[in-house]
Amino acid sequence: MKSLEKSKKRRTIGIYAFFAIGSIIMIFPFVWMFLTSFKTVAESMQIPPDILPKSWSLDSFKDALNSLPFAALYKNTILLIFWRVVCAVVFSSMAGYAFAKLKFKGKELLFGIVLVQMMLPSQIFIIPQYQMLAKVGLTNTVFALVFPGIVSAFGTFFLRQAYMGIPDEISEAAYLDGCNQWQTFTKVMVPLTTSSMSALAIFTAVFAYGDLMWPLIANTDLNMMTLSSGLATLRGQFSTNFPVLMAGSLLAMIPMIILYLIFQKQLIEGVAMTGGK
Amino acid sequence: MKKKKNRLAKSESMWGYILVAPTIIGLLVLNFYPFIDTLKLSFAKTLPFGLYKMQGIDNYVKMFSDPEFWKATWNTIYFCILTVPLGIFLALVVAIMLNAKIKGRTAFRAIFFLPMIVAPAAVAMVWKWMFNTEYGIINTIIGHNVNWVTDPKIIMITCAIVAIWSAIGYDAVLLLSGLQNISKSYYEAASLDGATKLQQFFHITLPMVSPTLFVVMITRLMASLKVYDLIYMIVEEANPVINDAQSLMYLFYRESFIAGNKGLGSAIVIWTVLLIGIVTIVQFWGQKKWVNYEV
Amino acid sequence: MKSLKKIIAVCLIGIMTFCMCACGNSSSKDGKTHLTFQIWDVAQKKGMQAVCDAYTKKHPDVSIEVQVTSWTEYWTKLEAAATSNKMPDIFWMHTNEILKYADYGKLEDLSDLYDDEDKDYYKKHFSDISLKNSQGSNGHMYGIPKDKDTVCLVYNKEMFDEAGVKYPDESWTWDDLTEASEKIHKKTGKYGYMAYGDDQLGYWNFVYQKGGYILTDDKEKGGFDNKATKDAMKFYINLQKEDWCPDQNYFSETSPGTAFFSEEGAMFFEGNWNLLAELDNYPEMVGKWDVAVLPKCPDPVKGDGRATISNGLSYATSKTGKNKKIAKDFLKFLGSEEGQRIQGESGAAIPAYEGLESTWMNVFKKYDYVLDVQKCVDMFDYGVQSINNKYRSVWKTKVSEELLRIYSGKVSVDKGLKNMNEYINTAKDE
Repeated sequence: MKSLEKSKKRRTIGIYAFFAIGSIIMIFPFVWMFLTSFKTVAESMQIPPDILPKSWSLDSFKDALNSLPFAALYKNTILLIFWRVVCAVVFSSMAGYAFAKLKFKGKELLFGIVLVQMMLPSQIFIIPQYQMLAKVGLTNTVFALVFPGIVSAFGTFFLRQAYMGIPDEISEAAYLDGCNQWQTFTKVMVPLTTSSMSALAIFTAVFAYGDLMWPLIANTDLNMMTLSSGLATLRGQFSTNFPVLMAGSLLAMIPMIILYLIFQKQLIEGVAMTGGK
Repeated sequence: MKKKKNRLAKSESMWGYILVAPTIIGLLVLNFYPFIDTLKLSFAKTLPFGLYKMQGIDNYVKMFSDPEFWKATWNTIYFCILTVPLGIFLALVVAIMLNAKIKGRTAFRAIFFLPMIVAPAAVAMVWKWMFNTEYGIINTIIGHNVNWVTDPKIIMITCAIVAIWSAIGYDAVLLLSGLQNISKSYYEAASLDGATKLQQFFHITLPMVSPTLFVVMITRLMASLKVYDLIYMIVEEANPVINDAQSLMYLFYRESFIAGNKGLGSAIVIWTVLLIGIVTIVQFWGQKKWVNYEV
Repeated sequence: MKSLKKIIAVCLIGIMTFCMCACGNSSSKDGKTHLTFQIWDVAQKKGMQAVCDAYTKKHPDVSIEVQVTSWTEYWTKLEAAATSNKMPDIFWMHTNEILKYADYGKLEDLSDLYDDEDKDYYKKHFSDISLKNSQGSNGHMYGIPKDKDTVCLVYNKEMFDEAGVKYPDESWTWDDLTEASEKIHKKTGKYGYMAYGDDQLGYWNFVYQKGGYILTDDKEKGGFDNKATKDAMKFYINLQKEDWCPDQNYFSETSPGTAFFSEEGAMFFEGNWNLLAELDNYPEMVGKWDVAVLPKCPDPVKGDGRATISNGLSYATSKTGKNKKIAKDFLKFLGSEEGQRIQGESGAAIPAYEGLESTWMNVFKKYDYVLDVQKCVDMFDYGVQSINNKYRSVWKTKVSEELLRIYSGKVSVDKGLKNMNEYINTAKDE
């Protein structure tokens, strides 16, 4: 019995050691980003590098703030995420439900379109989508940022899976209670998929946040860009001046980190959902 | 009765069309039309400003006879080989560790997930800085000057490290949810039968988690075959190793947007889509052999 | 159920605000004509805004918005805009691209813009290089010359002092450049001249100093088979083999500018347009560095061994713009003495308008240590127009990739140069 306890203890220590090393690897880049951003360029290029900055200079932050309109970038990023999430959840719920539960002609063919889209690399859409926007004069707007994500093939696929998991008896029962199709969908079915919807919302948000190319092309004005594309602009301006680039990255990250610390449990559990059946 | 059923079916199919309409119209306009356009341009000689004339398979002939293209194809496959098996293996290890009952597991889970909330642009920049040959912290730590970003033999490994680091937490969280669905009773029964931990892993854990593993693998493979942003941020145009690092989508970007040769760029995209299609079919065909859906 | 209604309500409100955002932009409820002005350099935004303000003050019925995108995306974006004929009202043009845009009929012909004032306005007020930088292949003006620039030698005074080397001056030749580099490296352990494999800020200058050329005069053929060009290229490429010069791998991780301003190297070639930003971005370096003219070739095949690549941007407008008339009037202002003066005084760049160089130089006087920017202006006397032909976009990347292959030893110098020439000569068949 004692040896069992001992081996258990050893195992726990092993796991902790694993996590200690893993955590260092995961966190170190952020620490280094933080430390570099307070160094001067000359200091950042010392051999061997100093770990801590000598004077904790704020110049890099000033340069980054002077070059990028961070307030506008935050605002656009939030609007982008909000609208992408709303659109993806609403339209994907509708289509996902129809593909999973309703019978209509040509369903397989239409679902094929959804599947094919998931295989296409998004870079090829950029120019045609830009030209559609340009034709109606809607570049440099929030709408332009949201545009490619108005509908979501992945979301449709994902929520279809969720609706497939709901037994047919439930909708039949609603039917017998006198609900029409729309009512069955909105009153009975949608509430049953809330966890899947929030998983999709998180997934959509993460990807909208990381989207780099589209905002750069769709919106010319720096004031209409998102945090990710703003950082790319900063790199164009400061090339290899790493303290400024690190300061800019840090400024772009801070609100996300705060949100993450508050909501990390919901966030991670939401992601776990997408791996389900 | 029959009449009512008919009417019901009619209303059902009407609602079906109404509900899928926004998504299908959106996909047709936003994605399908550009794809058809790309397909068309791959058979055309393109000039600046959207002008083109059809010319047959010249772009494909040119593409297949270009060593740079084959190199890019290999780079893409190589990137998949480097990131997918190792990335998923590490994610599985992390997931199993997170599944152990220890204090602070939520904190560790949060730490591994951290890269997901950082803009990929920022991730690439900080790693590029740490990998700097002369002034980078990594070479200082290992005490050896490795050309992480400028050695043609190493550059893909560098990109793969960053890719795995970015995705490991996300994949681990997905796999963890799969692990947590496994009922304890299986393990208890196996323990009573005298199965070792290793045997338990191969005979219980792996088969039971295989559906999730399959989802992770498919998404990771697709993302790796389409990789572009990460390499673009680490390897700039003027880097001598660009030919040894560019993926197919990077080559597409350079041909279409920098060299202005959209026809050839389109052919590269079609090739990439074919590649993804083949890999996906193989995956779905292969899953019957190892993925266990009976639970 | 309530929550669902809430969601729908929120969506509806959202869609409404959406539309408002979308429409708000293009509406002109204030009765003004709104022009957009597209540029790629954040550092010049203030200067451009100052010029716009001066114009709108005189024309209160017009408002102009300056928008900045970064260099790479600028061209992707502008081409997409030109394809759908939705270009910005006014935008910058670069020598690399103007021929493509002009020859495909995307730019408004501005040849007679000043005819009511003076038929020879352009010739009187702008240099030949400035005019060529703004012309299409047919010799018509498709842009208003905005600025002009030169490439200069930037050096670290402290390192020169420490090594006991005299500062670079007009008498300097390539030999002085290498000797000084050698001495500085021996004495300080820092890099000497950092020979970066760039065209405009690198080998082009050496080729023309030697008396060679990159393109023939008719711009049809490449010059990499010319003896002088080859010799200059070999000289430049071989610099990388010296201990005192970093190799190209180094530059892909650390730009020469970053290395210089973190005091890792003593010299590099810089465009004069970057000097002001560098003074601002590296305050701790002010006073430690200065600029000089480029060293000359000691044994040129022809000429006196002096050359610097001189480029210039221009302002342009679309042929199909819906505010073309006002845009052209604004362009006219941009090319006027007043418009160019404001640009110079903002420190953005050296005005293309002849005789206003001092407006730009005066900006540097506000710093504790005044850079010798007169040197940049002096070099206009022997400036060479930045190299360009219609097919540049086709051969540009191929040539620079081949150069990288030469640098990394994958191909011999002779073979590589031959290939580079081949790329230029066959570009028009693509």
